[in-house]
Formats: sequence, structure tokens, C-alpha cells
Amino acid sequence: MSRFLSALLSVFGLVSARRYQALLQQVTELKAGAADWKAKAGEALSRAKSLEQDVKRQTQLAARFKAAAEKAQQRQSEIESLQAQLEHAERELTGAREHLMVIEVKLDILEGAANVLDTRTRAVAPRRTGETGAPA
Amino acid sequence: MHPPEAPLVSLVLTGRNDGYGGDFTTRFFRTLRFNHAQLTARDVPHEIVFVEWAPPEDEPLLVERIFDAIPDLDPRVCSWYVVDPRYQDALSLNPRLQYLEFLAKNVGVRRARGRFVLTSNCDVYLGRRVLDALQQGRLQPGVLYRAPRHDIKLAVDQSHLDWAVLEDPRNLDGPAHVLRPPYMGSATGDFVLLDRESFHEIRGFNEIYRTARIGIDRNVLVKALSSGITIEDIGGPVYHVNHVGSYRVSPAAYAGREGEAPWGDRRWHSGGVSYTNPPTWGLAQAPERRLDERRVDLDFSWEAVPPLVDLRRVVLPVARRGGPVPGQYVRKR
Repeated sequence: MSRFLSALLSVFGLVSARRYQALLQQVTELKAGAADWKAKAGEALSRAKSLEQDVKRQTQLAARFKAAAEKAQQRQSEIESLQAQLEHAERELTGAREHLMVIEVKLDILEGAANVLDTRTRAVAPRRTGETGAPA
Repeated sequence: MHPPEAPLVSLVLTGRNDGYGGDFTTRFFRTLRFNHAQLTARDVPHEIVFVEWAPPEDEPLLVERIFDAIPDLDPRVCSWYVVDPRYQDALSLNPRLQYLEFLAKNVGVRRARGRFVLTSNCDVYLGRRVLDALQQGRLQPGVLYRAPRHDIKLAVDQSHLDWAVLEDPRNLDGPAHVLRPPYMGSATGDFVLLDRESFHEIRGFNEIYRTARIGIDRNVLVKALSSGITIEDIGGPVYHVNHVGSYRVSPAAYAGREGEAPWGDRRWHSGGVSYTNPPTWGLAQAPERRLDERRVDLDFSWEAVPPLVDLRRVVLPVARRGGPVPGQYVRKR
């Protein structure tokens, strides 16, 4: 009977009072749910915006870090190159010092020889002057 | 190759009767008597090679006095070389050096017959450990042996130097010199012991640099390292008797005027350069005149005198695989 009445009322676009109340309750609940979801969507949107800004900031940071890393790597290469140059210069300096020692020792010998020859010449010269009769 | 019946060791000494450092002859006779007696007592086959370098004309030769002064000295173990004084003048590159000590040593090294050759000085007593090493035949070819030096105080009565006096710490002028690798230098001239073949391979002490005698002993260590010879401490000291005028007693006497020192300028690069003596090192071409069984005179000849200047023979030392770098820069001035 009840089904019959409901079917009859539906022919005229009507529902029973109980059904109406149930649907009204459902509409109210859906409205509340919609508002809730709307709030949630707003929150999510604002969070998305915040995250977007974060991403932007992090991207900028990453770019800066990347640039810094590239710069550091370039510096590292420069340091390694300088280190190699320094080692080369040290080797050159050691070699130069060694050659300097040899040159100084040779100069000592030359100086000694010059002094000895000078003494010998002075010892011989007066005799020769006397022999030739040239003025002393 | 060793000469037939080569003794184990030739002790090469040089000197002359010129009163060096006070009473040179007395100091020398005492030292030689002690060393010869110790070597004989231990049955160490040895030879004494003495080079009487440029002796003064107005004094008797040491060879004329030695066998009277030391009756126990066996003439058969002595080889005495008297070098014409004109070699001193012809070779000198510094008139302040009255005695070309290491050229004199080379004369002895060149002619020594021993399997090992020990160059030392006339006032150096061999210590027990040194004698042990000789007696026990512990010496290796290719190794240059060094011994640290103890100095005996000037005030000690030197007329009866025996083990009791030598080894009494109260008589020692401080601790022994420390031998530090790689050179193991310090008072090197007092003890350089090397097998004869290696000594000939390196051609003795530096004969090219004749403007100083100080440092020539250190320089032979640079040459040895550069030639692949190892340097070791023989394990015990020798004893040097302090005397007036020695570098040991007055090292700072010529501070600020180093060029005037009778031993030459000590600041020359003895630790940084090496040398290549000519094949005629040790006055090889000097005419030898044998006077008797033990005495040979080396007469003067310009043929035997190397050039006054031979700069290409001053060379850089080389580092050997696994060995230390022999050269080291020292700021001179």
C-alpha cells in the first residue's frame, strides 16, 4: 500500500512527508559537506600556493647553489693548477739553487787561480824587467 | 783486484815535521805507537801508509826519526812517501793553506795495498769497537764507515794515554760528536774507512776544489752517496787529542773573516756539490824514487800536476734509487 501511494504521488511529482524530510536532511548534510569541502579546497589552494612559492624559492636556491658549486669547482681546478705550478716552481728553485752552488764553487776556484797567477806573475815580473833593462 | 798478500787494512796518515798544533811529532809518535800496538795485539793484518807532504827543508824528516822513536814499529808494515814541496806551491789555490791535507791523503789512498783503506789523522786513537770490527772482519765492500769522535781535554796528561785514560769520561771534552744520516758527518777527516776498490772508483777526496781543506772530508761523503755507496757508523768512537790551533778548539776564531782562515772558508758548498777527479788523482804521474824498502820519494814533475782550473769536474751530485738526496743548498753569503 505504501509503495502504491508513493508511486502514485511520484506520478504527480510529489513525495511523502517522511521522504521529504529524509531528502531535506540529506540536502542539508550535502550542503554542509559541500561547504566543508569548499573550505578544504580553499586551504589546499592556499597550501598549493605556498608550496608553489616554496618550490620557486628552492629552485632559486638550487640555482644559486649550482652556480656556487660550479664556481667552487672552478676554484678547485684553479687551486690544483696553482699547486702544480708551485711544485714546478719549487723544483725549478731547487735546480736553480743547485746550479748556483756549482757556479759559486767554480767562482771560488777561478778567484783562487787568479790570485795564485797574480802572485806568480808579480814574482816573475821584476826579474824579467831586470833582464830587459826596462824601468821597474 | 787486490795486490798479492794485501793486508786487511791500510791506515793512511799524513803530516810533516812542522810543529803543527804545538809538539806535532810527539803527539803523532804516541798515537801511532798506540794504534800499531793495538792492531798488532789483535792480529789485524795492517799497513801504515804515511805521506810526508811538502816537508820543511830545515827540519829532519819524520821517516828519519820514526823508527828510533817507536822501536816496536815493524818497518815491513810501513810505506812512507815523501812528497816534493813544490807540489804544494804548484797545486795551491789559496796561499793561506799551507798544507793540502786531502791531496796528501789521496797520495796515500792511491798507493795503499790494503783491502780496506782507513784515512785518519795523526792524533786520533782507534777505539775498541773500531778495533773489534777490524779484528772480526765485519767490514763490507761498498760501505763507507764513519766513527764518532771523542775529544780528549787539552789539560789531560798525554804522555801515557791508555784505555783507562781514553775511556774515563772525566777526560773527555763533552759527548762524542753525533753522526746524523744521511752524511754521518762531523769530524769526518778523522775516520773514513772504505774498501780499496770503492775508494779508487770515487777517485779519493776532491782534488778540484783546492781553496779550502775544511769541508773536503764532508764533500767525500756527498761523492760517496752520489756514487751509490752507503754510509754507516762502525759502532764506536775514536779519540782525538785536542791541541792548540785546531779547528775543534777555536772554530769561531775567524768569524766574520772566514776567507782568512788557515783552513779556508768553511762556508763553501761542501754539502751541495760533487766532483770528478782526473784519472791521475793522487799524483799518479809523479816520478817515484825508491830509497829503501819502506821509503819512496815523489819527485816533482809538472806532468803530475793537474790543471790549475778544471771547472767541468765540479758537478752536481745525483740521487740514487732509494737513497737520500745528496745535495743540499747552503746559503753562503
